[in-house]
Amino acid sequence: MTYEDKLAEFQTRIDAGEKVETNDWMPDDYRLATLKFIEMHANSEVMGALPEREWIPRAPSLRRKMSLTAKVQDEVGHGQLLYRVAEDLGKTREAMFEDLIHGRTKFHNVFHYPTEHWGDVAIIGWLIDGAALVTQRALLDCSYAPYARVMKRICSEEQLHLRHGEDITLELANGTERQRWMFQDGLDRWWEPIMHFYGPPSNPDKDVLLKYRVKSKSNEELRQEFLDHYVPRILDLGFELPDNGLHHDSESGQWIHGEIDWDPFWKVVKGEGPRTEARLSKRRAVWDHHRWVREALSESIWKAA
Amino acid sequence: MDIWEVFQQRGPSDPYVHVGSVLAPDRDVAIVYAKECFFRRMEGRGLWVVRREDVHRLTDPAMLEQVTDKSYRYPEAYRGVVEKREKAHAKYARKDAPKVDSTVAGDEF
Amino acid sequence: MTNLSPAFKESLEPLLLAIADDELIMGHRHSEWTGWAPHIEEDIAFSSIAQDEIGHANLFYTLLSGVIDKSPDEIALARQSSEYRHAIICERPNRDWAYTLARHFLYDTAERIRLESLRASAYKPLADVADKLLREERYHELHAEAWFSRLSSGPMEGRHELTVALSEALSDAIGLFEIIDSEQVALEYSILPESNEDLLQKFLSDASERIESYGLPFQLSPSESEGEFLATSSGEMIEGSDEQAAAPPAIAEAEGKWQVTGEFAGMGGRRGKHSPEFDELWDDLTKTYREEPTATW
Repeated sequence: MTYEDKLAEFQTRIDAGEKVETNDWMPDDYRLATLKFIEMHANSEVMGALPEREWIPRAPSLRRKMSLTAKVQDEVGHGQLLYRVAEDLGKTREAMFEDLIHGRTKFHNVFHYPTEHWGDVAIIGWLIDGAALVTQRALLDCSYAPYARVMKRICSEEQLHLRHGEDITLELANGTERQRWMFQDGLDRWWEPIMHFYGPPSNPDKDVLLKYRVKSKSNEELRQEFLDHYVPRILDLGFELPDNGLHHDSESGQWIHGEIDWDPFWKVVKGEGPRTEARLSKRRAVWDHHRWVREALSESIWKAA
Repeated sequence: MDIWEVFQQRGPSDPYVHVGSVLAPDRDVAIVYAKECFFRRMEGRGLWVVRREDVHRLTDPAMLEQVTDKSYRYPEAYRGVVEKREKAHAKYARKDAPKVDSTVAGDEF
Repeated sequence: MTNLSPAFKESLEPLLLAIADDELIMGHRHSEWTGWAPHIEEDIAFSSIAQDEIGHANLFYTLLSGVIDKSPDEIALARQSSEYRHAIICERPNRDWAYTLARHFLYDTAERIRLESLRASAYKPLADVADKLLREERYHELHAEAWFSRLSSGPMEGRHELTVALSEALSDAIGLFEIIDSEQVALEYSILPESNEDLLQKFLSDASERIESYGLPFQLSPSESEGEFLATSSGEMIEGSDEQAAAPPAIAEAEGKWQVTGEFAGMGGRRGKHSPEFDELWDDLTKTYREEPTATW
């Protein structure tokens, strides 16, 4: 069978909704696109742990200290699941980490921003995890079966995170003036990165991930789903959304956002976000300093004799 | 001969689960035997065999127990959100905004 | 807890506080690795140990809250830095994975020895908690031992990193058995079944035996000469200045082996004398709580 024949057969399988396993034959562009996508997802989990973890040492109660630690632990756990899936597609974890810390691969735009206070923990836990869950739920039916399998576990943990985040939010919403300010201030700073969350409007016809049913929804669809779910819930708590153009369209029942300024987004994509370098350079430092740990863990290096 | 543990995947997105074991002299024969012992009626679409000596177990299952309170790792710990939503709604909800159903537990969309 | 005599209470309080603070500050430091550990699977594993230690602290603060009528959070987060009674080893910055492992090994050894002894405490709630926590401690020690075993028989660099870190952590570890306020009374009531001095001896023999079993170049001899390990017997050695608390480790390499010489660093914690690094830790630990002390979070 020629490569072209194999390719046609593969596309037929995909179109019929069949799943691809690690050892199945797959076209190179499928493998590459899927690997790149999962690798970025994995990078985003471990980099996404960082802004949140800044508040573990400063959590306001013993209970929150434990629950936030556990929550960040889950995010790192998602990184673990995803790196393993990506590794099996043909790239070592070492190579993925090297590429990440040297800025050769990306992590999600929303994790390049600073955190200021406990209000940010509420925003991340409720709204950013909520935004991520919209994306992740859409991946449950992904054509790459190992990815779909880990997504099941990830989504179920994310449901818990959402409640955890909402619980923190509601304590602030029902709390003192200062606590309410914390959430509103966080919202004012994070709303724009959240609007950037799903990326700019894309052309579905050119998206190889859609063609191969790795992804099933466009950026715009995902953003709309997020807005329709969260905007009313935020307003219900009496907070203000920093978007003058935002309005409810009674005909479609949808929440329509105002104009989005994409300049800050493109800056982040270029690796020039406000905390990009700080977070990556600390990762580099920890990575470089602990080479001896990796050596000790890799038996083959020293047990060859 | 060795004992080989047999794992089976039922559907395309399902995980592999342990279904039994076979006695076989090597890997290739173990796969054949596993197929005949456990897949005669197309019970699955994927098959793994693992030599039993390569399966390692936790010898002290008590380690899996949670000694101190880890309730914060479970959704049940956040049941209180429903009541807290209603409390915030009563005090702060924007009157011009469309109504939100705040009685739903969790946020399952 | 109204049926406890004032003297009983007075000796119970500093004991519970010291143990609880050890657990909290240790858990706090361990939790700083969450998101940063040098291997992803390990990040997850070590995070659970951090959560366990904070959970232990919560249990001891809860016991204490029954004695002094304050909430566990209030006890844990509403004090000034000089009011914390943990040993200095717990507050030392994580530095790197080698130091973290060395301290983890020593701390959990010390914790096991303390909890085993406290199972016989005349204060039943304390004995019960000790019994319960020992189960979790077995797992912590298993984790530390797995790393010690791998590093000590692994490549030279890792073995060396661990050895150096252990020498530093060891001298600080003595502070975990520093005398506690009203210890004599706690001993008389059998709230504390064994003195810290006795526990220290147990700790040293237990730790040294295990360290030697990995073939690491340490020689830890029990207290033959006065003043070497008897740091807590009279309280004399812990009298004193902040410089003493911040003094460099007193274990040195001689004739190819690490030997304990001179005095120990890491004393003073039980009297509220801490290193400058603790001020930073305290600032983080209590930051959000201090913003609105009356709020619920």
